[in-house]
Amino acid sequence: MKHATVTVGLVLGILAGVLGCTGGSQQQTASETQTDTAAKPVEGTFKVALITPTSVNDSGWSALAYRGLEAIQANLGAEIANVVASTPADIEDAMRSFAQQGFQLVIGHGYEYNQHGIKIGKEFPNTVFVSSSGDKTAPNVGAFRFYLEQATYLLGIMAAKMTKTGVVGMVGGPDVPSIESTFQAFEAGAKSVKPDITVLKAYTGSNDDIGAAKQQTLAFINRGADFIIHQANAAAPGVFEACRERKVWAFGTNSDQSSVAPDVVLASAVIRAENVFTDLARRVKEGTYRGAIELVGAQEGAVNVVFNPKLLDKIPKDVQDLLMQKFDEIMQGKLVVPKLEF
Amino acid sequence: MNEVLGVIGTMLSLGTPLVIASAGETVSERAGVLNIGLEGVMLFAAYAAFWVSWKTGNPYLALGAATLVGAIALLATAPLVIHLGADQVVVGTGLNLLALGITGTLFVQAFGKTGRLVQVETVPTFAGDLGINVVMLVAVVLVVVAWWALFRTDWGRAVRAAGERPEAARAAGWSVFRLRLQAMAIAGLLGGLAGGYLSVAQTNSFAENMTAGRGFVVIAAVTFGRWHPFGAAGAALLIALSYGLQYLIKAYALPLPYQLFDALPYLLALAVLVGAGRAKSGPAALAIPYKEDR
Repeated sequence: MKHATVTVGLVLGILAGVLGCTGGSQQQTASETQTDTAAKPVEGTFKVALITPTSVNDSGWSALAYRGLEAIQANLGAEIANVVASTPADIEDAMRSFAQQGFQLVIGHGYEYNQHGIKIGKEFPNTVFVSSSGDKTAPNVGAFRFYLEQATYLLGIMAAKMTKTGVVGMVGGPDVPSIESTFQAFEAGAKSVKPDITVLKAYTGSNDDIGAAKQQTLAFINRGADFIIHQANAAAPGVFEACRERKVWAFGTNSDQSSVAPDVVLASAVIRAENVFTDLARRVKEGTYRGAIELVGAQEGAVNVVFNPKLLDKIPKDVQDLLMQKFDEIMQGKLVVPKLEF
Repeated sequence: MNEVLGVIGTMLSLGTPLVIASAGETVSERAGVLNIGLEGVMLFAAYAAFWVSWKTGNPYLALGAATLVGAIALLATAPLVIHLGADQVVVGTGLNLLALGITGTLFVQAFGKTGRLVQVETVPTFAGDLGINVVMLVAVVLVVVAWWALFRTDWGRAVRAAGERPEAARAAGWSVFRLRLQAMAIAGLLGGLAGGYLSVAQTNSFAENMTAGRGFVVIAAVTFGRWHPFGAAGAALLIALSYGLQYLIKAYALPLPYQLFDALPYLLALAVLVGAGRAKSGPAALAIPYKEDR
């Protein structure tokens, strides 16, 4: 049974990849004529590809990257394409075929794409391979890491300041380092203001299983949790629904999710990939990109905490003030939020 | 106490769609048709229910639509597996892929390329934290009706004959094609209701691939339940219970490997298979095409 499921999943991944390709090519636009005279500027059509671990309709991690890709298209007139690839063989196939088709920039949305970028980058020196997180670089291979921990740390402070039960919960989809790191920062933030707080953590193992996310959240609430942060991507409605049924607060992640559940989402930890992606693509287009690992967080305007305007009156003034103060400390570099290296 | 109620609530919430779909699948497998495509049926239905509830705000209408869509989806493969004698596993896998592709595409068409977290109207619950809803009561009725139909009617005897020895059913004057078609229709209807339950009763939204393997779990429950509606329902609830225990273990950070509870139903299934020994193993003609009126 397990085998059948795995096989089906594999085939589905490929199918999704094919669908993604089609979607991308439909959105192609003619690029502007190049008048740039930088070192090795892109000649002809500027083409940018995005490889995501899951379909970009996940309303979360992959979706935010696709919005970044669309910003590249809008701001730089690039041709864009997107496929889903998550296994090593699929990732390398996708990277190779994009490079062969003359894509100048291939973004892999996850730390797992970094090492494949190094390998394929040697074969295709004229294509830049960038991954979201990673620790390896080459002249045409680099990574940028979203410092979402800064935002989840602040949400942890908020939860710890406002909890009545002294118990808060974190519900994740798959157990991966990028999610674990944001959870650890949330916990660190909570404990920085309330050392005896109980912080519960669980992974459902799935980005799509709304039912599992809901039941896990209910189990946390049964244990007394009155604040829940999630990293469940498309399964997030399950978390919000459980919070609504039991009247506890939730936090959104990756994008501003206030409007998804206006009565339960108090605030969201938000990543804005648009400017980061556009800036990166512009450097590639102008030929000034050099492989590096770039940390992008609050200082770069890529990470923020957004309050739900409808529930602003539920957040005590002193908590709001404390968060503003901590945010300033982060901006000034006085407060360095812990993060995992991966 | 809260925890016990919580686990029971989780078992009922996660178990209901498994119970409903397993009742239908039991009937179908008894007639000799293995519906690997149940996962796809449930996914089609989950999307249909989500969409109808989003458009009309009526979760009951949504469940009705899901039930219908489930039957249509499964019966669309009937000519292949019944009349043309195609491999049921291959056709079912095709249906699963089709469902994932089509529902994913429809979702993107309706809610944008990067998806949208939409919350829709759901079936109301009562009994407080236990969260009972009317579909759970319907599930009990459906299981009993499935048992009655299979074991207390002439039609049921004929269906079982179609799955054991189709020639005998034919000789007794029944059309094996028609019996299998009817059994598939039942599996489709109930699979559809189960899928709709996922998006407008158990939760209130849709995500690509939200069925997350539940169709396969149902098929496992039918096998585990020895192709009997009560056995299958029991197996389905046991699987749901083990999930409930898993969530509890995570909530209390107990020093127990939660993966064990993932594996528990399957370990039990193995134990049942070993225990049953060489006694009756499934319907003899399960997944074997029948050539009628040669």
